[in-house]
Amino acid sequence: MRRNQGCHQLDHQLARRQFLAGAASGAVGLGLLGSPANAEKIKGQHKRVLQLYLQGGVSQLESWDPKPGTEFGGPFRAIPTSVPGMHISELLPYTAQRMHLLSIVRSINLKTNDHGQGRLFMEKGRRAGEFPYVGSIASKYLAPANSELPGYIHISTRGLNDSTAAFLGAQHAQLKFEGVKPPKNLAIPKGLDQTTDARRVQLRQQFNKQFGRGRTKSMTESFDASFIQAAKLMGRKSFFEKPPAQKDLERYGTHDFGRNCLLARALLENDATCVKVTHHGYDSHAENFNFHLEQLGEFDKTFAMLLDDLHERGLLESTLVMVYSEFGRTPKINVRYGRDHWGTAWSIALGGCGIQPGAIIGKTNEKGTAVADREVDAGHLFHTYLQALGIDSTGDHEIAGRSIPIGDPTAQPIKELLA
Amino acid sequence: MNLRSIQRVVCLATLIVAVTDLPLFAKIPLHQQIDSLVGVGNEQFEKNASKPADDATFLRRVTLDLTGTIPSVDEVRAFLNDQSTDKRTQLVDRLLASPEHARRLQYFFDTMMMERRRDKYIPAAQWRNYLRTSFSENKPWDVLVHEILSADGTDEKTRPAAKFLLDRELKAEEVTRDLGRVFLGRDLQCAQCHDHPNVNDYLQRHYHGLNAFLNRSYLFKDPKTKKASIGEKAEGLVSFTSVFTKEEGKTAPRMLDLPEIADPPMPKDPYKVKPAKNVRSVPVYSRRLQLANAMTNPTNVAFQQNIVNRLWAMMMGRGLVEPLDMWHADNPPSNPKLLNLLTESLRKNKYNIRLMLREMALTKTYQRSSHVAKDAKIPEETSFSVALLKPLSPEQLAWSMMQATGLTEKTLHSLKAKQSKADAKKGQKKTEDPQWQEEALHDALSRNVTAFVTTFGIVGAQTSQFDASANQALFLRNGLLLQSWLVPSKNNLTARLKKLKTSDQIAEELYLSVFSRHPNKIEKAQVAAYLNETQAQSNQSLQQLVWAALASDEFRFNH
Repeated sequence: MRRNQGCHQLDHQLARRQFLAGAASGAVGLGLLGSPANAEKIKGQHKRVLQLYLQGGVSQLESWDPKPGTEFGGPFRAIPTSVPGMHISELLPYTAQRMHLLSIVRSINLKTNDHGQGRLFMEKGRRAGEFPYVGSIASKYLAPANSELPGYIHISTRGLNDSTAAFLGAQHAQLKFEGVKPPKNLAIPKGLDQTTDARRVQLRQQFNKQFGRGRTKSMTESFDASFIQAAKLMGRKSFFEKPPAQKDLERYGTHDFGRNCLLARALLENDATCVKVTHHGYDSHAENFNFHLEQLGEFDKTFAMLLDDLHERGLLESTLVMVYSEFGRTPKINVRYGRDHWGTAWSIALGGCGIQPGAIIGKTNEKGTAVADREVDAGHLFHTYLQALGIDSTGDHEIAGRSIPIGDPTAQPIKELLA
Repeated sequence: MNLRSIQRVVCLATLIVAVTDLPLFAKIPLHQQIDSLVGVGNEQFEKNASKPADDATFLRRVTLDLTGTIPSVDEVRAFLNDQSTDKRTQLVDRLLASPEHARRLQYFFDTMMMERRRDKYIPAAQWRNYLRTSFSENKPWDVLVHEILSADGTDEKTRPAAKFLLDRELKAEEVTRDLGRVFLGRDLQCAQCHDHPNVNDYLQRHYHGLNAFLNRSYLFKDPKTKKASIGEKAEGLVSFTSVFTKEEGKTAPRMLDLPEIADPPMPKDPYKVKPAKNVRSVPVYSRRLQLANAMTNPTNVAFQQNIVNRLWAMMMGRGLVEPLDMWHADNPPSNPKLLNLLTESLRKNKYNIRLMLREMALTKTYQRSSHVAKDAKIPEETSFSVALLKPLSPEQLAWSMMQATGLTEKTLHSLKAKQSKADAKKGQKKTEDPQWQEEALHDALSRNVTAFVTTFGIVGAQTSQFDASANQALFLRNGLLLQSWLVPSKNNLTARLKKLKTSDQIAEELYLSVFSRHPNKIEKAQVAAYLNETQAQSNQSLQQLVWAALASDEFRFNH
């Protein structure tokens, strides 16, 4: 059955804005979609995704599922959050104050402890095979046709060049930014001025016009669209180069992650559809506690500021926020005070568009060694993300005469998490 | 369709059935038989079909398809001036015999079988060399696949052939799926856990039947040499449970619905080499060795249909079944009779790929224009009554840009100059040898090709769909590589253009070099206007003129 998983608040907001705008101009009663101003707002509210990928595997015990005072609990306390009864690690004090915007899934069992397999499972909702990442799916189904930015942008300072789009095609593959550096080849070649550049592009179009007559258009249009997209990116070169405001840097932090998140905010404000920011360095086989103190210290405030900004700007209700890893970390503390790979019982946090806020889904046993209730894996999470975005994950991708189930047909969404 | 044309079709069809049965009439060349089945000569069909492509278009198309690059400006001139009536046939034969053809097939089949995945155990260079050598000696397809599926990596001579299995680490979900897709045209992935939810024909036993050939095999890493090879156990059965119905199934190795291949009775000592630590075990009876036989067995029609379909797609821009790996009852071939004809002749001609490509290239179907007449409706792609646009592969794009800008010729010239000294000393004439030329040139320029593959190559997902990304456009617009080829140097295109006096001459040279054809009046006027406006013939304006042509739709596609 097809569920309506739209962001319901959107309707209210649109109606309210329409009312205000209409009242001001004395045009109450005009059709919603008829006015260009509203079309603009609908465009402004298209659904989008913010992914914060804590690469290497954040420890659930030092973040979303603390077990203080137990055998494997580690040295950190649990602190209360803005949701009564919900506690998270004291390493996330800023986030704790904003948990009424988020929910936690504490009962993930991936049955793999391999970085690659875990990552692919979390991104594709399948254990194996050529399937598109969440970001590529968002780009395909959510990006507005006239989008000023590519649909799936990944900000990362290093890491792997995954093939993310599978059969959805190159235009939905992640466009990777190396931190806040602009994409490759964004600048006009040396020795070329704007006028010459414009003229050569115009000349290219002239060549195309001749060629296009009497031929099918789909392929040439796709090729030409890539030039238009490239031109848009080039046109926004200054946008990539513009240093962030000092007061934003003070709030977000002057480190890479802070700058990357500021860029993510700017991209989302400019109608990017999926923005993924990777925060590297959670693979703490040694010195797990010092590592998490440092890493989450960097993450916590920046993330909280970003969440505030999205919320205050009215973007959160149209933006699905995912804080996730490829797996968690072993409850057992090893001889180097580290925790190892653990896909068996760990947590992620979700919020925003289509997600019921303030919820805790599932739980682990007292020592945190196994899932005690409501076990899910990345297949279930995958359905949940997509349905939160209003995409029918039980439907099919219809690609070149082939039907491919969007989500794993054997998994279901976590329905109680969907708003 | 009027009555008369129905009659004609029926007559033709009967005739075809007759000729394929009677050796007496087998003299009708395959390319004519193909055309008949597509509809050539049928009044109604011809009414909407596009005209034959002109010589220049044909030359560019077939050179790209058979050798992987556009022709050089000299080749274009020579072909256009050639007055002989059979020059197209001569050209096809010449291209098929060239070392560049083996290279083109090396690229094509490497992409098809390895899908641009990263290297694991067999270095790509060795594998590609193996492929190229195979294609240059026109190894039959069944022989080639037999080698690829039977090599276990222990014999240095056949080791490169083991890349298909070894680089997939014998992992069931990768090997089984790709055996189905690449060699049988069926993507059975969804049938791993249950009968396919949307495709009635794809059953769980098909997936596990293929899997059963390999489920006893494993990746063995020699602790001394660190080399990977395939080991195998004597036991192990495949059983599976549907996650939907919880029904259990069992199967021995099988090719889709062909009979299961039963194990012989287990001997007392089932091993030639017993399993032990750090030892590659070898059973007396190997299921894995049945795979190559079963795959290439004449009864395995899916194997034959798959390659025929892929070669058709390579030449015509679209498979008779499309997507190429979605062969099932609800996605039937667009022209079943044609498919049968091709499959039959593949068998008769002993899986001869070169011959198949030759006959396809000689058809009227292949030689049509991609341009639909002014008022005509653009016909269905499946009718093959108009030539389809084919996006250049990353390799074709790289080589064509190097050819157009004159980099190829310039590089070959300097390579020859270097080699001729060595030749003189040793009393040899390597510089004259086309094989030497191709290899030297390829070695010299392969890094450029890699840059294109990195930007334009897409991992996995085989289909004739075309997609372009912003990264690719930025690479073409602003990338240093392409820009560096535009700077005038020695006798490259920009340098040649610079020496010319009139805009007409410039237009001629540009069009012959980049588009492999003469410009028409409007196009000449366009070039003249551009040059007028941009301080005629300054380096910059000529460079950008060449750039605009290279970045155009006409250049991006094989049309």
